[in-house]
Amino acid sequence: MANFKGKVAIVGIGEVPTGKFPNRLCLLNALESCRQAILDSGIKKDEIDTIIPTGTFFNRRYNTDMVFAKIVEELGLLGKAKNNFQVFAGGSSSSTMLKTACGLITAGIAKTILCVQSDKTGSAPVQEMIDLFATFGIPEEWETPYGFFMGGCGSLFATRYMHETGTTHEQIASVVVSMRKWAALNPNAMLRRELSVDEVLASKLVATNLTSREGNVLADGGAAFILTTAERAKDLRNPPVYPLGFGSRVCHYGISQDRDLTRLRFPEAAKEAYEMAGIAPNDVDIAEIYDGYPIFPLITLEGLGICQRGEAGAFVYEGNTWPGGKLPMTTNGGMLGQGHTAAGGGVAILVEAVRQLMGKAGERQVNGAKIAVETSMGGTFMDSHVVVLGRVLT
Amino acid sequence: MKVYKKPLPEPTPWSKPFWEGCKKHELLIQKCQDCREFIFYPKMFCPSCLSSNIGWVRAKGRGKVYSYMAVHSYQPTGFEDDIPYVVAIIELEEGIRMMSNIVECPPEKVKCDMEVEVVFKDVTEKITLPNFRPIST
Repeated sequence: MANFKGKVAIVGIGEVPTGKFPNRLCLLNALESCRQAILDSGIKKDEIDTIIPTGTFFNRRYNTDMVFAKIVEELGLLGKAKNNFQVFAGGSSSSTMLKTACGLITAGIAKTILCVQSDKTGSAPVQEMIDLFATFGIPEEWETPYGFFMGGCGSLFATRYMHETGTTHEQIASVVVSMRKWAALNPNAMLRRELSVDEVLASKLVATNLTSREGNVLADGGAAFILTTAERAKDLRNPPVYPLGFGSRVCHYGISQDRDLTRLRFPEAAKEAYEMAGIAPNDVDIAEIYDGYPIFPLITLEGLGICQRGEAGAFVYEGNTWPGGKLPMTTNGGMLGQGHTAAGGGVAILVEAVRQLMGKAGERQVNGAKIAVETSMGGTFMDSHVVVLGRVLT
Repeated sequence: MKVYKKPLPEPTPWSKPFWEGCKKHELLIQKCQDCREFIFYPKMFCPSCLSSNIGWVRAKGRGKVYSYMAVHSYQPTGFEDDIPYVVAIIELEEGIRMMSNIVECPPEKVKCDMEVEVVFKDVTEKITLPNFRPIST
C-alpha cells in the first residue's frame, strides 16, 4: 500500500470565475482563490505551514508575485509559514503540485499545504500569445522555423489518430459538444453556450482536422486547494477527499520526438495509478480529463481503459460523457468550456474533481460519485498524468 | 534574396555540422559510435548510452510523413504569406523523426505515411532549411 494512502486528504477548494478581466490583478485572483479555499476548509489560516504556488511565465511581474513570499505576506503568515516554493510543469502542474504536497505531508515535513494557481492569458493580445506559444515549450531550433505553434498542436495528434483508428472529425468535434454542455451548468465557466457538432465543424479552419471551436480559449482565472493530514481532516467541515493513486510518464519535449502521438503514455500511467489505488477502470465514477483540444480526451479515455482503442470517438459522440451520461467527463467544461488559464486549466479540473467528490458541484453534481480520475498534460502534451481520488479509501 | 521574416534556427556548437550540411544540401545526422544509435536532433552525448563518441553520417534523405497539419489561420508572425502551409513530422528511413515542411505538393494531397524526400531551401545566406516533397512514382 502506498504510504500516503489514508494519511493525506484534500479539505478545501477555492476558485474565481474564468474569463477576460483586464482590470483584475493576477495576484488578486490568486489571493481570492486562497481565501475561498481557507474558508471552505474551515481550517484556521495559521495552520497552513506550506504554500505551493504554481507558475506563470507569460509575464515576469505575475510570476514574481506568485513565486516569492507575496502570498505568505498577504495571508498574514509571515513568521508562521515554513515553506513557500513553486511547483510548475505547465498544464500538469495540477497533478504535480498534488503529489508534491502528498509527499511532504506523508514524510512529516509539512502538515497543512495550500496550493494555488493564477494567470491572465486572456488579457494579452492574441498574436502575442500565438507567437509566445510558438517558442515556449517548443524546440526553437528544430520546430519553430517550420511554423509550428501550440495553437495548432491538436491538429498533428488528431490527424495521426484519425489515420490509425478511423475516427471521424465529427466524433472528435463531439468532445466540444460534451464540454459545452457541462460548461452551461458551471457558473465559473467562460463559454456557457451549447454548441452542435455542425457548429463546431463550421467554425474557422485553423489547421487540418482542427477548427477554431476546437481550440481552447485563453482566459484569466485562479484556483486553490488545501491538503492536510487525514487525522486533522476528521474535524473539518468538508468530507475529506483522499488521493489514492498516481501514475505518470514524460513523453517528449519536442512533439516531433514522441514515439506515439495516438496514445502518448496514458496506458502506462493509468496502469500505475490504478494499481496504486487498487481499483479497475469500471470503478471510476467520474473522469475529470484534461482537454486543451478535443483529441486528448479521446486518447485519454482509451489510455484509461474506459474505452477500447479507436472507440472513444463513438463513445463521446453518443452522449455517454454528457450530463446524465454513463461516464460524466470533465464536468467543469474543461478548457474548451470553462476557458484555458495556462497551468490553471489543469488546476481547475483537479479542483472540480474534488468539488464533485465533496458533493458541492451544484447543478452539475454527479450523485453518489465516490471515485474520480483526474488527468493532466503539460507543454505540447509532453507528459501523461493520472491521479485517482476518492471519497472513500480503497 | 528578399528579406526573410520567419524565425530562423540559431545553430549551437553541437548542431553546427547539421546546418553546415544543409548549406551543402546534405542531410547529416548523428550516429553514436559506441551503441550505433542514430540521434536527432543533434545532442552533446548519446541519449541511449551517454557516450560522447558521436559521429556524423549522411542520411538517405527519404522517409514517410508520420503526421502533418496544413495551417490555415492563427499562424505565428512571419508565416502570413505562406498559408496554407504544411508542417509535418517526418520519419526518416534511419528511424529518427524530424519536423519540417512539405513542399511541392498541394496541402490537401498530403497524407500520413506518404513517402517523401528531402529538398533544400536556401532561406538566407547563412541558413538552409531541409524541406520534404513527395517522391514522384
